[in-house]
Amino acid sequence: MSDVACYLFASSGMDRAAQGVLGAARRLADATGGKLHAIVVGPANEDVSGGAAAVADAVAVVDHPALAEYNPELYLTALADVCQKITPRAILLGNDTYSQELAARLAHRLGGSAAGDAVNVSADGDTIRVTRGVYGGKAVATIGLKRSPAVVWVRARAMEPADGAGRSAGSVESVSPELADDGRVKVVSRHVEAREGVRLEDAQLIVSGGRGLGGPEPFEKLQALADTIGAQMAASRAACDAGWVPPSWQVGQTGKKVAPELYLAIAISGASQHIMGIADAKVICAINTDADAPIFKHCTFGLVEDYDKVVGPLCEILSQSK
Amino acid sequence: MNRSDATRQVLWNIEHVWVMYALLVPTTLIAAYGVYRRVRQWRKGQSENRFDRPVERLRLVVAYALLQLRTWRRAYPGVFHAMLFWGFVILFIATCVVLIDYDFGIPIMRGEFYLIFQSLIVDIFGVLAIVGVLMAAARRFITRPKYLVYTTESAVILLLVFAILVTGFLVEGWRIAATDDPWGAWSPFGNLVANASRPLMTVEAMTSAHWATWWFHLFLVFGFLAWAPYTKMLHVLASTANIYTARLAPIGATLRKVDFDSEEALGIHTLAGFTWKDLLDFDACTECGRCTAVCPANRVDKLLSPRDIILDLQRLARDPVGDFAEPFLGKTDALSAEAFWECTTCAACVEACPVSIEQFPKIVDARRYLVMEEAEFPDTMQQALTSLETRGHPMRGTSFSRVDWMQGLDVPTVADVKDADVLVWVGCGGALVERNQSVVRALVQLLKAAGVKFAVLGREEKCNGDPARRIGNEFLFEQLAQENIATLEKHKVKTIVTSCPHCFNTFANEYPQFGGRFEVFHHSQYLAKLVDEGKLAGKSPLGQRVTFHDPCYLGRHNGEYDAPRQLVQISTKNAPVEMQQTRSNSFCCGGGGGMSFVDEPPDKRVNQERARQVLETVADVVAVGCPFCMTMLEDGINATKGDREVRVMDVAELLWQTVEPAPPDS
Amino acid sequence: MNLVVCIKQILDPEIPARDFRVDAAARVAERGGANLVMNIFCENALESALQCREANEGKITALSVGTDEAEDVLRKALALKVDEAILVSGGESSNPDPAFVAKTLAAAVRKIGEYDVVLVGREAGDWGAGQTGGLLAEELGVPCVSFAESIEPGGSDGTVQVKRQTDNGWELLEVATPLVVTITNHDKNVPRIPKTRDVMQSYRKPLTKWTLDELDVDPSSANDYYEVAELSIPQKETKCEFIEGDTLEDKIGAFAKRLGDVIRSI
Repeated sequence: MSDVACYLFASSGMDRAAQGVLGAARRLADATGGKLHAIVVGPANEDVSGGAAAVADAVAVVDHPALAEYNPELYLTALADVCQKITPRAILLGNDTYSQELAARLAHRLGGSAAGDAVNVSADGDTIRVTRGVYGGKAVATIGLKRSPAVVWVRARAMEPADGAGRSAGSVESVSPELADDGRVKVVSRHVEAREGVRLEDAQLIVSGGRGLGGPEPFEKLQALADTIGAQMAASRAACDAGWVPPSWQVGQTGKKVAPELYLAIAISGASQHIMGIADAKVICAINTDADAPIFKHCTFGLVEDYDKVVGPLCEILSQSK
Repeated sequence: MNRSDATRQVLWNIEHVWVMYALLVPTTLIAAYGVYRRVRQWRKGQSENRFDRPVERLRLVVAYALLQLRTWRRAYPGVFHAMLFWGFVILFIATCVVLIDYDFGIPIMRGEFYLIFQSLIVDIFGVLAIVGVLMAAARRFITRPKYLVYTTESAVILLLVFAILVTGFLVEGWRIAATDDPWGAWSPFGNLVANASRPLMTVEAMTSAHWATWWFHLFLVFGFLAWAPYTKMLHVLASTANIYTARLAPIGATLRKVDFDSEEALGIHTLAGFTWKDLLDFDACTECGRCTAVCPANRVDKLLSPRDIILDLQRLARDPVGDFAEPFLGKTDALSAEAFWECTTCAACVEACPVSIEQFPKIVDARRYLVMEEAEFPDTMQQALTSLETRGHPMRGTSFSRVDWMQGLDVPTVADVKDADVLVWVGCGGALVERNQSVVRALVQLLKAAGVKFAVLGREEKCNGDPARRIGNEFLFEQLAQENIATLEKHKVKTIVTSCPHCFNTFANEYPQFGGRFEVFHHSQYLAKLVDEGKLAGKSPLGQRVTFHDPCYLGRHNGEYDAPRQLVQISTKNAPVEMQQTRSNSFCCGGGGGMSFVDEPPDKRVNQERARQVLETVADVVAVGCPFCMTMLEDGINATKGDREVRVMDVAELLWQTVEPAPPDS
Repeated sequence: MNLVVCIKQILDPEIPARDFRVDAAARVAERGGANLVMNIFCENALESALQCREANEGKITALSVGTDEAEDVLRKALALKVDEAILVSGGESSNPDPAFVAKTLAAAVRKIGEYDVVLVGREAGDWGAGQTGGLLAEELGVPCVSFAESIEPGGSDGTVQVKRQTDNGWELLEVATPLVVTITNHDKNVPRIPKTRDVMQSYRKPLTKWTLDELDVDPSSANDYYEVAELSIPQKETKCEFIEGDTLEDKIGAFAKRLGDVIRSI
């Protein structure tokens, strides 16, 4: 019972996140000396099952007409069903919303322990240890999961993919679970669109512009950059006051107080009132021509350059690496 | 002709004088009813004691009702109002003289007194009154300043007063001419009318004109008297009463406690919530518009107009079918929540009011209702108060703790020093806003240099509650006040020095309401005292020209204008360069009343208006004495300065520079 | 609809980073002078419940598992006019695992009796495990929908419409009651603030207290499933690292790489 399983969502494709989950699971299996089972749920997808087989020792493709589209209850039942057969010691999932939704419940059904948002997963004797940020990122905790299996959802894209060296392709097996839809949960409609109503306060990524931009036009360039990385736009008070962007974009003591994972301040000097709006940002970085600008005092890293020369190429590089 | 026999024949040409006495009855009744109606209204108000310390109150009446010291602060209206006021006072005395002489049969209207007072002086004052009316009319009809209220009533009053005065002179002139009064020359202006009439009119014509005009004059006077209590002329009575019942404490002690045990609404949103003094305030208003003219929010074209708040409430209170229980909030622009949320509580309105109306406390009353009963107020103010509630400070998002500013200074806390003479109250603005940390650092270094035995509370300090009270969450304010009083008493604090005028005001004027009594100094006062005692001396004067911006809560709210200026004087060896609006007429930085926690529209910023006033001077430095002024003015000056370099510095920073010259490399 | 809102009291998440300390031995954050507050997602959940009750008839019960101090957050819920407030106390662990909390909540919900929807915040601002909702649903044997931003009665009787966020948009689900939803924040459920009048009255309202014993929950099982082994504050570079490079391209490339690393790590 030292096997490791990981869950992949067939319709997501073999994206960076899936590669990250596979990589993390592979390394854990290698460390525990167990086999790696990849469980792919959903309509057959060669990319995913093939990609998984390149890393895992065994791939279980779980397909069923009822799994054509994601439904939490059915997916959970299917997944639990397969896991019960594999009896892995640890099950890794990604950090997409569906995986997060399933993880704890899966642990419960299997009698195991769950932990999420892991930046590191390791085995320590009988316990699986998970390292994760707590207290809003102010502290880091290592959590020991006492019950088996350990169900862990990881920060998938932060995980290195598995190295492809010298591994024979794993077996791929189709599993068709018995599923009876009790109809308690029905998906009425599903909408793929930019999420409306996400408040700047809740944004994970923010690109923000300031007085140094000199006018409304440069904000279009910033917007392009924001769109590339899926960030929301914000601005300093000076830029909002000047009417270059709407007042609702304003971050600072008298504007919004934000707490993103990444705050990219472009041509913002960093007056203390502005800093009060970004005190809880995890990583602040800035592009500014003035190396003495106060914003750099709060940055993890920064670039002393004219934004005009930087934003365009930056946008290109980031869209390629996406 | 003996001057000691000089007099005139009262009534001369007038018969059936009983008609006058008969008319006096309805006139008096109508006027009395008018007054009674108002008094009855005032009595509907909640109770409040404003009759203590009568001697001080009489002193107020002498200063502000009789001598009208506040009215004089604006020269032009001050002059014409004095002319009208004293003109009518003298004319009224003259009428009383006639009454005593004629009706009571006591011959006092005789001789020198008749000539000098009853003729010459009365004549001169009558003319002054006419000049006053003309000046008032010129303002009302020609220059038409924005702060004035333009009503038909006001125009009619002016016309009526003018007519009464002119007909008075006509009556006098024609009497002098027709009776060939030997003493006519003692009434120079009446005599002028007489001399002008003689070539144009026969004695008979003058006699009948006198008769007709006398009665006309009488009707005008009686009509005016009867009507006056129904017009803004009520202010003659109401303003005097209002001045007598004015607040005796500093403006900073104006805000009332809230009775949380009462079942009634918290704060005020209907007329029924006001005290009789508030209702008297409404009727005392003379529509002079000075409050709105000095209101910083109004100056930058915001909706807020203290004048209209008072007048709209007056109108609602006078509405014969109005209901005191009906909410006034939102009834007019002036009474809208939007306007109430623009007030910086700078008290310029209260300071400017010639008749002691308390405008901004009513705004706070309305805010209390909005906050405590409706929970409806600007988002960023909510966040400030939520932070105050959970973290004991309103500076949401600060990256500092209460003790970060002390780094490297070895500042004693109450835990270290049990017998400190002075507690330095750092304040949230001082501890948690980076720019102000150097102010507190300068202050404690000065105290050390002067050998003062002081301590700070450190992490035990909490906001004193000023923003909560001004924003309108009295409940939170009371909690904070009680907690802080307990902390201060626990450490046996007697004397507090603080660099924040808001903290200063709260300790000095508001904590006594909750049983907390401490000797409180604004740091400028305490430092000035140390200088006076020779414990601090400015060594090398700064070569900078410095202007001083009066913090509202130090100046207007507490009457301290000199101590900070003294510090500027010591630091620079020069008196500060004064801005146009200074001392009690100073213009708010825009940050009081919780306004530093909200964003004003970019084109309507009080701090930028004040910054422009700073930039009009030749100063290199604008000195402040308040952490809010510091950030508001820095911000305003950055936005408006162009190429000018003007620094904002606290008076303690200035003083510390001269007492302890900075090492050359910093 | 009968709604139960689970509310967690946590250490104020806005303690400035430089003031934040942990007790490495006890493996919890030091409280210092900081206050305890209602978890923000619980505030969102409470707001969603209040809005649901406003639009439809219903009853809201606020439920918290915690120390006696958690009475404060329930008073706040009472000030926001929930109909009933229940505090379950008696645990000794400073950080009981989500499985234990879910078990306790489930016992309390069963004791409450009739309910249609249990609302839970998506995660807590302290430990941020994000498991309570799911585990509670399993304990109760009912469906669970996560990351919901609003709930309202569904088209047919006995169902609820849940709008919830997904990675690339949103979806609408119709779920048979009873169920558990975990609520995320959205501009529609920004928590309201209570009126002072109601805050004052909240202290006079009844607050039910249950102990673990009464609910037949074994306090010694508080960390059967997981336990914090280590807790530390990561060393953060206080100085800004200025990206250098020989050419502009190099600099931009290096900057882009750093950005990419951060973005991927989320």
